[in-house]
Amino acid sequence: EDAIPKRKIEVDNTDALRRIRETIQLNPSLPWTETLVISFPQTIEVDVDDDLNRELAFYKQALYSADRARTLAASQSLPFTRPADYFAEMLKSDAHMERIRSRLLDERAGIKKSE
Amino acid sequence: MDADNDAPIHPMKRNKQRVLLLSSRGVTQRMRHLMSDLEALLPHAKKESKLDSKSQLHLLPELADLNNCNNALYFEARRHEDLYMWAAKTPNGPSIKLHVQNVHTMDELKMTGNCLKGSRGILSFDKVFDDTEWGKLTKEVFTHIFGVPPMARRAKPFIDHVLTFSILDSKIWFRNFQILEKDPQQPNAPPKTSLVEIGPRFVLTPIRVFEGAFGGATVYSNPEFITPTAVRTLIRQRKGDKYGKRKD
Repeated sequence: EDAIPKRKIEVDNTDALRRIRETIQLNPSLPWTETLVISFPQTIEVDVDDDLNRELAFYKQALYSADRARTLAASQSLPFTRPADYFAEMLKSDAHMERIRSRLLDERAGIKKSE
Repeated sequence: MDADNDAPIHPMKRNKQRVLLLSSRGVTQRMRHLMSDLEALLPHAKKESKLDSKSQLHLLPELADLNNCNNALYFEARRHEDLYMWAAKTPNGPSIKLHVQNVHTMDELKMTGNCLKGSRGILSFDKVFDDTEWGKLTKEVFTHIFGVPPMARRAKPFIDHVLTFSILDSKIWFRNFQILEKDPQQPNAPPKTSLVEIGPRFVLTPIRVFEGAFGGATVYSNPEFITPTAVRTLIRQRKGDKYGKRKD
């Protein structure tokens, strides 16, 4: 009953972490187009349980990154926007997108009916 | 021949990454679908069949080597409900063990976003990653694993989605958005960027960082992490207490 709760041993060996990171680090002279990494300059401070605001914060982060990436891509002449006549296999298949579409239509019809 | 085209005399340095993607035995359907989503998102990933044994993780670096991979993403399922993700650099490490929660696959999320299969995504990390040393290391490893190198065999030449990693509540939240440059309703309006989520979604809790690939000394451990089993035990204990009191 009176067992002493086991204390977890915390390890945070910052020197080792830094050393490891330096060994695996990509060459800093690599152009940005090789990695496409964008760092968002803000910290996200929202209530974790507040779904709407949390998702909005993620959206803002992604939007900032997209805009920043577009200007960077333009400056390094990396093709960014997909031309309208470029067709290739998509991540979600047509069948999947059709399922999503029909579901949206169903929902809309349901709302209309209830009005 | 164009005079402009023969400028690079010394060979360009390239970012070469390949990721071995595999799981342990005992993954549920949802975990499997998450893996196939990631496989579709990462054209430089090589999927391997399930690893037979959960105790012989040292086989993984060898397996990665056989597949010419220098990264590994290993999903470990425990008790058919808990999912752990190992993100490792092979053969020399480091490796990061994370607990995966709140998994929503692309298939079950009814999101309208879509992007080219195998297009290179932008990787977006929020500022908290740069505040701690383990965050910086995680950022570096994730850059290798989730960033599609430009020369990946199946990569498409355009950029149309963003992968965001944000630290909130000391967990890493993953989202994937499509970049829309034109409003489909008003194609003639001036271009304005907007985003539509594609999926999947998941939350990662860092547990430990090891020095080697799938082993070695622990260089970071998360003091806040409580194993899901401990959480369940606690809930069950509380339930038991309640019953005991009522009986008395």
